[in-house]
Amino acid sequence: MKKGHIILIILIAVAIGAIVGSISDSSTYANFDEAFSNQDREFHVVGTLNRDKPTKYKPEENADLFRFFMLDNNGVEREVFLQKAKPQDFERSEQIVLIGKAKNDVFVAREILMKCPSKYDDGSPEQTTSNASL
Amino acid sequence: MEINYVGEHLWIGEIGNLFIILSFVASLFATISFFQATRQKDDSWEKLGILGFRVHSFAALTIIGLLFVMLANNYFEYHWVWSHSSSTMPMRYLLSAFWEGQEGSFLLWTFWHVVIGNILIYTAKNWRRSVMTVVSSVQLFLASMILGVFIIDFKLGSNPFTQLLRDHPDFANLPMFANPNYLESLDGRGLNPLLQNYWMTIHPPITFLGYSLTIVPFSYAIAALWQKDYQGWFKPGLPWAYFGVAVFGTGIIMGGAWAYEALSFGGFWAWDPVENASLVPWLTLVGGAHLMMIFKNKGSSLLAAFVLIILSFILVLYSTFLTRSGVLGETSVHAFTDLGMSGQLLIYLLFYLFLAIGLIAWRYKDMPKSKSEDELWSREFWMFVGALILMIASFQIAFTTSIPVINKVFGTNMAPPADPVDHYNSWQLPFAVLTLIVMGFAIFLKYKQNQFVPFFKRIAGPLIAALIITIGVGAALKMQNPYYLMMLFASTFTVAGNLNYISSILNGRIKKAGASISHVGFGILMLGALISMSSNQIISSNTSGVDVTQLGEDFKNNENILLLEGDTLPMGKYFVTYKGREKEGIYVRFKVEYLSKSEAGYKPEFLLKPFVQLNDRMGNVPEPDTKHFLKEDVYTHITYATLETPNQEKEGYKDLKTEEMGVGDTAYASNAILVLDNIFRGTGGKDLQLAESDIAITARIRVFDFNTKEHFLQPTFVLKDSSFVMPVEAEKEDLGLKVSFDKINTETGKISLKIQESNASKRDFVIMKAVVFPYINLLWIGAILTVIGILFSVYTRIKKG
Repeated sequence: MKKGHIILIILIAVAIGAIVGSISDSSTYANFDEAFSNQDREFHVVGTLNRDKPTKYKPEENADLFRFFMLDNNGVEREVFLQKAKPQDFERSEQIVLIGKAKNDVFVAREILMKCPSKYDDGSPEQTTSNASL
Repeated sequence: MEINYVGEHLWIGEIGNLFIILSFVASLFATISFFQATRQKDDSWEKLGILGFRVHSFAALTIIGLLFVMLANNYFEYHWVWSHSSSTMPMRYLLSAFWEGQEGSFLLWTFWHVVIGNILIYTAKNWRRSVMTVVSSVQLFLASMILGVFIIDFKLGSNPFTQLLRDHPDFANLPMFANPNYLESLDGRGLNPLLQNYWMTIHPPITFLGYSLTIVPFSYAIAALWQKDYQGWFKPGLPWAYFGVAVFGTGIIMGGAWAYEALSFGGFWAWDPVENASLVPWLTLVGGAHLMMIFKNKGSSLLAAFVLIILSFILVLYSTFLTRSGVLGETSVHAFTDLGMSGQLLIYLLFYLFLAIGLIAWRYKDMPKSKSEDELWSREFWMFVGALILMIASFQIAFTTSIPVINKVFGTNMAPPADPVDHYNSWQLPFAVLTLIVMGFAIFLKYKQNQFVPFFKRIAGPLIAALIITIGVGAALKMQNPYYLMMLFASTFTVAGNLNYISSILNGRIKKAGASISHVGFGILMLGALISMSSNQIISSNTSGVDVTQLGEDFKNNENILLLEGDTLPMGKYFVTYKGREKEGIYVRFKVEYLSKSEAGYKPEFLLKPFVQLNDRMGNVPEPDTKHFLKEDVYTHITYATLETPNQEKEGYKDLKTEEMGVGDTAYASNAILVLDNIFRGTGGKDLQLAESDIAITARIRVFDFNTKEHFLQPTFVLKDSSFVMPVEAEKEDLGLKVSFDKINTETGKISLKIQESNASKRDFVIMKAVVFPYINLLWIGAILTVIGILFSVYTRIKKG
């Protein structure tokens, strides 16, 4: 067998390995129902902040705990414990992606991604005169 | 009714649109002319092609010039200006504003192609016709990206000269447009605060130059396939390919530096999709450039060279598609919004992909193939292996980054890895180790056959040196992870091997040392990356002494820490004080001072001012501050702060809360933790002039402030004549804390403790994160050395050729 063939075989093997590895490392998008019925498994959950309920952040108790309620895309609401400082501009988020697992009756999120549409979105010019509240 | 609007500058848009059409038509004309010139080997077609490209260049430069005039003069009647600028935007962000949006970045890309194309017209000589056909055709696609015309229902491109009032139906009905003088009151939306940063001024042009440079080896490759001239293309193509490697690499590392210095990534590389999207084509370009060298010296690996060189251009298009089509959506926070051009980008990408596949398939039989097999101990064999490792590495990154695309195509529902950094690191680390080891020894091999024993004698020295350094450094850094140790060994071996090569084989002949210098640099870069990432230390972890694990092990204070104004907390080898904030325009700077402690007391070492940039419309943006030392960096980032300035002047107390507490229970005030120690009869030593029939009950409350100093508060509850309740409060003035209780639950033995806080006591605070990155300077030094090495070899190659 030629060296070229051996290299080719190794190449294909590693490439297949990379695909399998990436797929097995990949997480799953889920809604809250799925996440809570598979406790302790990590999921990506997409949803929106429930603005009717208060958010809790008490850095004097724990700077790495931020609590809020999120509605998933099916409208199911759960309390979320985010293991991070409260993200800047959290209230403005349009969409939230949580990475974490359900524990008992709360969703413990390790990571959060927020979409704040205002950053790149085309707003109407009227928005430009909105008051400078912080 | 027609309104006559006042103060609009419609002429500039009319000229602009004229030139957009001109630039499109001229590039079409150039493409056709160069194509005919190549086919018919005809000089007059070639002259027309050059003329077409010149006209296109002139039109593109004019468009850019007009847009700058519009931007600098705040012509907000144009949607593009309105979107990316505002009257308050400082002029120094003019460039950033220009390429913030898609139209501007396409024009930046066009601009670099114009520069490159005009250089090629002069330098490409007998390759000019065929190479310029490819370049012009790419310009045709790019020009279509800013056309902004509708073909039936399909919008072709996004035009930067559209008017807010007339071309954007969503805006036209707004009441402000009833005023003929609307421009007087209209202000732009302004530049995204995240991008109001000097990095944004220098990073995009370099990255885009890197992107643009992939077009040259690509065009030469396509031209070679088309013209069946396999021998001549790599000679002019090679310096361009390596120049591309250097510039593109600079762009990537600058992106890392930006992320490290100004964004809150907490490191220089986060395996973010946008970062990955540019790393992938860079890796294939590096591989392709090395394969071109093999073909030049040995005449083998031609097919692989074609594949990688073509791939790097296609992957640049793919990465543009990824970041601009909105497909990354949920996986990346800083992709562009979809301007409805993803279809167009996809056509562009697929056109060149199928063109390349078709050409390679068509010419496959023609291609010269090496008659003999590569020797095992030859430079070309190991360079080939190295290039393949790079290809596999880039494939792995591309695959995982493409998960959202795979979902779209196959309808699957995969999410990206939950811990992307871990995922990519564990895959890429072995690839890096293999590449570095090959880089360390392949240089000692000559092309064609080598004797193994003399070769081994040459690399024995560097091998031993690397082994000793690995053991020493590994022990000093307490590195235990075997993969990290392998990486440590591999990168020091690359450095030692190439240094040895420069001194012993080249005998210091610096002219030939370009490759070795850049390999030394790359080894140092990887060393810096390894040490700073594996041994970094989050020093802002729970040093408050307050145990916050009552919510369970998951909620340990592990990264962020609360720092009250005036308090001093130990962090790593430092003590850190928050010295308040200063506000300057839209910047709120938080003064965080690092101190060292000796017997004489605290001594200030340095002051960092991480800040938050206020922007009510687009969101506030925090920016870290970093103290650079030779050996390490201290990175400080404000993760949370209240942005209204706390009012320090108010007097009096306000109720904080009332809490039911039993013995041993804990309650929290804003700046203290209260623990109910016990409840006992009596006044606790206070003279309250009680009568015999009165009953006094006192609570002993232990209070910890945030320096974990212990204080005691003893409020008393007095029952006068068995009916009248008189609470006696206890106060701790320096903490601004008052407690009292007016109820005792006789069944549970709990008291209702009322906690009050002084209005003045709400001290200012920040939540911050501090990380020490050791030896991160190695990373930057290595990167600079790599680039210098490549540029040097490009220079010597051009001079020689």
